[in-house]
Amino acid sequence: MSDDLAIILTAGLLATACGLLGPFLVLRRQVLLSDAVSHAVLPGIVLVFLLFGSRAPLAVIVGAACFAVICVLGIEALRNTGLVHSDAAIGLVFPVLFALGVIGVTRFAGNVHLDLDSTIYGEIAFTPFRTWELFGVEVARSIPLLGAVTAINLVLLGLFWKELKAITFDPGFARVNGLRPVLISRLLLIAVAVTAVTAFESVGAILVVTMLIVPAAASYLLTVRLLPMVAVSVAIGWVSAVGGYGSAVALDASIGGAMGLVAAACFALALLFAPRYGRVTRLVRRARRRGGARLPVQG
Amino acid sequence: MDRLIDLLPLDYTESVVLIGAVILGVAAGVLGAFAVLRQRSLVGDALSHATLPGVCVAFIATGAKDAPTLAIGAAAAGLIGAGLILAIERTGRIRPDAAIGVVLASFFLLGIVLLTFLANYNNANQAGLDTYLFGQAAGLLKGDLEVMGALCLVSLALVTIFFRPLKAALFDISFAGSLGLPVRLLELAMTAMLVVAIVIGVRTVGAILMVAMLIVPTVTARQLTDRLSVMLALAGLVGAAVGSTGALISNSSGLPTGPVIVVVGFVVAVAAILLAPGRGVAWRAGKVLRERRRALNEGVLIDLETALHAGAPPTVDELVLTSGRSVSGVNRALRDLDRAGAIERDGDRIHLSEQGAAAVHALLHKRDLWSVWLEHGWRLELPDAREPDPRNLRQTLGDESTERLLDLAAAAGRPRGPGPDPAGEEGR
Repeated sequence: MSDDLAIILTAGLLATACGLLGPFLVLRRQVLLSDAVSHAVLPGIVLVFLLFGSRAPLAVIVGAACFAVICVLGIEALRNTGLVHSDAAIGLVFPVLFALGVIGVTRFAGNVHLDLDSTIYGEIAFTPFRTWELFGVEVARSIPLLGAVTAINLVLLGLFWKELKAITFDPGFARVNGLRPVLISRLLLIAVAVTAVTAFESVGAILVVTMLIVPAAASYLLTVRLLPMVAVSVAIGWVSAVGGYGSAVALDASIGGAMGLVAAACFALALLFAPRYGRVTRLVRRARRRGGARLPVQG
Repeated sequence: MDRLIDLLPLDYTESVVLIGAVILGVAAGVLGAFAVLRQRSLVGDALSHATLPGVCVAFIATGAKDAPTLAIGAAAAGLIGAGLILAIERTGRIRPDAAIGVVLASFFLLGIVLLTFLANYNNANQAGLDTYLFGQAAGLLKGDLEVMGALCLVSLALVTIFFRPLKAALFDISFAGSLGLPVRLLELAMTAMLVVAIVIGVRTVGAILMVAMLIVPTVTARQLTDRLSVMLALAGLVGAAVGSTGALISNSSGLPTGPVIVVVGFVVAVAAILLAPGRGVAWRAGKVLRERRRALNEGVLIDLETALHAGAPPTVDELVLTSGRSVSGVNRALRDLDRAGAIERDGDRIHLSEQGAAAVHALLHKRDLWSVWLEHGWRLELPDAREPDPRNLRQTLGDESTERLLDLAAAAGRPRGPGPDPAGEEGR
């Protein structure tokens, strides 16, 4: 498998996994919770490494998911005191978990292969070099890993589509009908955490957060219904993966950074020119309407 | 600044870090309050990430790496980021949290692209720019401190001068507008203050941990006071205390400064949320427990009085049986009452003491008055609306209204209570 293909496939799978979850985060106003969760898993990764001395993907994912849950529960506990607004609760909990992780790294794991740079930036350019042998073929490790996560997210959406839709648009209705909104929303956040952690070592936290937020936000400007919104957000993710790789190679820049910036450019375009909600489109429409209203008076 | 560094009984680097942490704490505490109270604290998250491309651009444009240049770059990028967040929100469809997330991600990625760009061009001088990300307190220089201190003093002075308009805009933006205050300008000023705090702090603790530094002092101070002026001063103090404690702990333990400061801050904030008098979680729980205990004691006292009315002084078992309460509850209440001298024990039988009898009398009177209030209170015209307190109705209504209430009840054919109200007389 060529290196280019491995990188693009990795990014595309990441875009799919994130694009499936992102729209729900945007609609449920939990965008920043995803950012928080993806930072808060650091102590989980460090702890697993300290306890078992391994960076085996499964152990790391379990450890990180535990801390994602701790983060979400901590935020809810703070919010439920009624003394702290939810934004401040988020901003209190995730930095402290991240800080614990940083302390753990510098204190206990300073001289081993667990540096902050690789967890935070990751470097998608290195994915082709970390390989697994599957069925006699050597493939980049990130592809089966992200493929599995994408499949899990797809199954989650398939199984709980109705529930997710209900808790997103009408939590009260969902609760009355016994759809367990709290459970489902926690599942969603665990899925976000698992996606983030799996992607960390191949692409870095910041690209995960970007892929969760930006394509979904852009898609929200372009669509009105949920299913198209999910599809468009996955599609924008793929566009940024391919376009980002192309421009990174052309400009000799950071691949992950370029992919994220292409996604941001898509968002900017959608913000300005989306057929229904775009800023410019609306200005044009308003100008036209005004023009239309004046005509009969003149005539 | 030199003299201050010499004054501290620490070596040079440690003193610089300590002073830096204190300046950061004060600035983040006071200036962050304006974001936290408007429930926009995570804007701080986005803006502290947004400083990264600003720093890179400033470096590319000037080739200099001194503190003022980089601070100007960081501040400019922060302001642009803040403006973009507002602009994206104004379009209507995208909600604030998504706007914050988009700006955070894209600015930060831009910063990373610029960093790799610089690295590719093999500019050896660029090393150290990425400390803006994770912060590196040990890398602080005297020049940094001077810039931080100057920024902090100027912004604190501005907050003091423009305190009243800022307060109006903070709590009720439309009221501020109706007063003719320049609302847009004030909002911009509050965001600019946030940017200043971030520029001061981000070198020391890093972009991610900076958020906590903005939030911790305000959350802590908010639990302790309800007045903005007091709260701002407290937040500054809390910030300074957290910063210095964290810096000292990190000096003596060799742990990284930024994370230690944040952990200390988190502990302080949670302690305030739990223990703050009148508001804290533990404080409220304690109050509920005390109230429950009081209600239990009063109930058992009345049960005892009823039992004494019915016949011979009861034993504890009989009292449990007639009152229908749990054994442990009755026992605990009896212990309390014993300690208060309200009951006397005669073998295993229980009497009321003289003091206890008076207490029961007062209690029955209060309950009687409460049922009169429930039945006839609606006819009573009160000078103002108030929430009657069932524990002491006479106090909430005042003596005059209470007498009128009793008159009303008597006129409706209810016999007046059993003689004068002892609590009423004592109360005066």
